[in-house]
Amino acid sequence: MKILHKTKLSLLTIIAIVIAPALMMMNSCVESQKIAAKSGAQLWAENCQRCHNTPSPSTFSPEKWETIGLHMQSRALLTEKEKDKIVDFLKQ
Amino acid sequence: MGKIYNSVFVFQPKRFHFLLITFIFNFCFIQTFAQQPVTVDSSLLERIASLEQKVNYQRLGEDHFMMVGLTTFGFVSNKTTSTFGGVSQVSKTNSLADASHYEFSPMFLWRHGNKFLLEFEPSFSGGQLGVNWGAISYFATPGLIIRGGYLVLPFGAYNKRLAAGWINKLASDPEGVTGATDYALEVEGGFQAGSMKWSYDLAISNGMQLLADGSLQNAGITDNNKNRAITGRIGWLPFSNSSLELGFSVMTGKVGDAGSNTENVKANLYALDLSLVENIKPFQLNIKGQYSITDINHADYLNPADSSNYSFDNHTTTGYIMAALRPMFIANKILKNFELAARFGNYTTPANSLRGTKDNSFAVGLDYWVNWRTVVKFSYEAIKGTNTISANLGGTPGAVTQSNSMYLQFSIQL
Repeated sequence: MKILHKTKLSLLTIIAIVIAPALMMMNSCVESQKIAAKSGAQLWAENCQRCHNTPSPSTFSPEKWETIGLHMQSRALLTEKEKDKIVDFLKQ
Repeated sequence: MGKIYNSVFVFQPKRFHFLLITFIFNFCFIQTFAQQPVTVDSSLLERIASLEQKVNYQRLGEDHFMMVGLTTFGFVSNKTTSTFGGVSQVSKTNSLADASHYEFSPMFLWRHGNKFLLEFEPSFSGGQLGVNWGAISYFATPGLIIRGGYLVLPFGAYNKRLAAGWINKLASDPEGVTGATDYALEVEGGFQAGSMKWSYDLAISNGMQLLADGSLQNAGITDNNKNRAITGRIGWLPFSNSSLELGFSVMTGKVGDAGSNTENVKANLYALDLSLVENIKPFQLNIKGQYSITDINHADYLNPADSSNYSFDNHTTTGYIMAALRPMFIANKILKNFELAARFGNYTTPANSLRGTKDNSFAVGLDYWVNWRTVVKFSYEAIKGTNTISANLGGTPGAVTQSNSMYLQFSIQL
């Protein structure tokens, strides 16, 4: 009975993990105007410091920032718009 | 009609002379100026050609290959006191290179166009050469990344995001942080929902392996059965400035060896993680935490002391909370690079098992940031462990182990 309960709990959790994002994507994927208006510099300051210090734009060449942008989009699960704006800022 | 004809074609000497002079003048003018030969310095042409060639060599291609990574090096001094029945034993060690935390891990990134990214991180750590991960990612749509390979599974936030030496504020890792690296297929992405942000990360992997002492092998895993494990994490960033992130993870799958008496034994793991980064000028406050539960179904294990079977409630919990404070926004160029960090942790492994212990830890550290990706850390960590291994397994239940460590560590992102 205990095992059955745990199995059901695991199943429900997995379903929640799969279904919840799908529902949210369907219902409200639209970013607010406040979010849409954010600059690359602002997104760079807000998102990079979630894990580490904000990197200096002069650290890498524009071409390297493109590659690192993809790596960080995956690692920090940034949205594509966030990644594009941050990379454009760092490339300047 | 006849008048018009006559007025056009009647010969008029004055008009003829005017037209002739105009024609000759225009002819001479065009011949003089339009056909003027231009002389160009040949050395200038050669220089332009050379520059064109150089620019062409610097032209950006669709592919790009680069290396980043990290290295961590340091010194640790440890004193461990074990007390049981009023008798204490003391051991002291000093280790240059801090064998358990030394690491040289170059990370190779190969961007194949704008849709594919190959990541490979070999690592020399603890005197051994290994691979942290190697995977290929396909950036399918704005909210969907598909990845395959040997990768860090999305369980909790510490292993995937915070474990690197130049990111971790303290010299040591929190004790018992659960996670796994395995061959897997993964889908993940982040998306905006109004002012909030969500992320999802779901992986199907070969699955962890149950070891003889009831623990789980979480790296270099042998695929020991036909069952596949599922791991997933949902991240929620409720504030528009992304300062707070809450994550919930689950991992589930059979872990026993096929054909053995543990064939149907299943493990269910759950984790909650927290990240808060707030600029309270002139300080930056950074709080990180993670709590996880590991439940493994009932199984019989072999007692190495007398070859009898024994069992226990295979339930493990581990958690930590870390807070760091840095005066990042003050004017002093030296002081603004210091950061103070403290961490509390608890790690409780199954009582009456071969690895039963209840550990409480406290760590404190002072960091100096040489630049945004280079840090020198001075840390102190105390771990007090109470033995919960039963006597019939050769344990000394109630024995207390006090471990005190001092670290001096340097870490850099390459």
